[in-house]
Amino acid sequence: MMRSVYLKTLYDKRYFLFGWTIAFAAIAALLASFYPAMHQDGAIDELLKSMPAAFQGLIGSLADLSRFDTYIASQLFDIRMPLIAGIMAIILGIGLSVNDEEKGELRTVLSLPIGRTKLLVQKWFAMLTIMVVVVLGMVAGMYAVLPFIDIASIEPDVVVRLSAMTLLIMVTFGTIPFAVGFASGRRAAATGISILIIIGSFILSTFGQAVDWLSDYEKLSLLHYFPAVDIVKDGIQASDALVFAIVTIGLLAASIVIFRGRDIA
Amino acid sequence: MSKSPVVIELNGVTKQFGRFKAVADATVAIAKGEVVGFVGANGAGKTTTISMMLGFLGATKGEVRLFGETIRPQTAHRLHGRIGYASGDMELPLNLTGKQYLTFLLHQSNTKESRLAELIQRLSPQLDKKIGKLSRGNRQKIALVAAFVTNPDVLILDEPTSGLDPAMQEAFLALVRDTQANGKTVFMSSHYLQEVMDACSRVILMHNGKIILDKLTDELLTQGGKHITIKSAYRPTKPPKKAEEVETSFEDGLLTMKFVYKTDVAELQSWLAAVKQLKDVEISEYNLEETFKSLYEAEETA
Repeated sequence: MMRSVYLKTLYDKRYFLFGWTIAFAAIAALLASFYPAMHQDGAIDELLKSMPAAFQGLIGSLADLSRFDTYIASQLFDIRMPLIAGIMAIILGIGLSVNDEEKGELRTVLSLPIGRTKLLVQKWFAMLTIMVVVVLGMVAGMYAVLPFIDIASIEPDVVVRLSAMTLLIMVTFGTIPFAVGFASGRRAAATGISILIIIGSFILSTFGQAVDWLSDYEKLSLLHYFPAVDIVKDGIQASDALVFAIVTIGLLAASIVIFRGRDIA
Repeated sequence: MSKSPVVIELNGVTKQFGRFKAVADATVAIAKGEVVGFVGANGAGKTTTISMMLGFLGATKGEVRLFGETIRPQTAHRLHGRIGYASGDMELPLNLTGKQYLTFLLHQSNTKESRLAELIQRLSPQLDKKIGKLSRGNRQKIALVAAFVTNPDVLILDEPTSGLDPAMQEAFLALVRDTQANGKTVFMSSHYLQEVMDACSRVILMHNGKIILDKLTDELLTQGGKHITIKSAYRPTKPPKKAEEVETSFEDGLLTMKFVYKTDVAELQSWLAAVKQLKDVEISEYNLEETFKSLYEAEETA
């Protein structure tokens, strides 16, 4: 088990992995199980559509609630899941980057014949693995309740698309504190920048729909590139996926360059 | 100091944190097979120097070389397979057992050579418990096993015996002596001067980031002489001719005379025989601590 930094990191984070996988599965199962009520009561659909735009942003895109795929896209994936995923990713990213340095364990590991690039990359892959498992847990949670909701069905490729984009936004949100943490070694910097980005994204995406001057900046929000209902209807836009990939790879590359040469506390 | 190849080299190394100079223009060359004691007060710059040797910190100025290769944070790991490291405040992974940590270490080191069985016998570490549940001394034993287990060419130890009981300190010193006998190099910082005098063939003293003394232990002992203390009930006792730093006091009818004697103490035999009403004689080795204090004072004055 203890053959590499990658495996050691997964072992270190086993309780985190277990806890968040259960949490994501539970959230997905819970929201899926609400579908019959939403589906059968057209009044809710009408009520939601009559709400002000700013409030609509807070509760997710208002799609056709009579279809399970658009229901799950708007109520699970549109705003809730990216936000929860973002919070989890930030906690994980900080834990994997600055925690070891603060405790002094980073020096212990770096006193062994382990290169700094190798350490960072293996930890990042461990983070990616944890996120893949958590997303699979979410999918499993959703599928687990489907037999109990007779009226619900969903195309597997829609699930794949939504899950892939959830994973992408999760990895991007996680890479921000991970990269800042490795580059600076400072928890305050990693936490501050990440929270600023996630809250900024949330504000721009929710209130941007109603506030004119904010809508001009909506593209600065990472959540803007995860239009869940559009993904169900039209598939993943390559440009959206590219934004997440560029941000992730760019941050990762910059953090490798800085971490390789900086002093370790 | 020796004709063996130099394995650790500091050439005019300076490390600055903002305006604070933690290490200033340090130059040292340590040859293969030497056991070097690195001493100095807290904040003298010892740990910063060791951190540069391991590539945790980059030098602001100058060059650190190990096995002839310049150490940089980016590339230091390439040499870590030949270095064993332990420090007194080393943070081991608390959620692993000692066995799991050593397995991880041996996989990273990619070495087939392991002294694990021998080290378990000598240091008796508790390997089956989570490191987080062990006492400080038991964690330190695991750190020491980790440093020695791959039989590295160079051991860099930063206050390695802090937290160890006297029996374990002795076991550690025996380990260092055996390591030297096998031609390995040991560079260790310590607060325990006696430990340094017992284990090391050379002493380097650092104060305020500067190296203010670099001498062979034997040289220091010869140069320092012996500390002699006599007690006599006869007050007008004169010190021997070659005595230095003579101090006398008289209390409760007893004269106490202290002096340093730098030549053969056997010469004192006739002088001692002539001392009237001699009550007690004490001969102690050179006092490294006092020398260091005087060096610190001289440095502060300068």
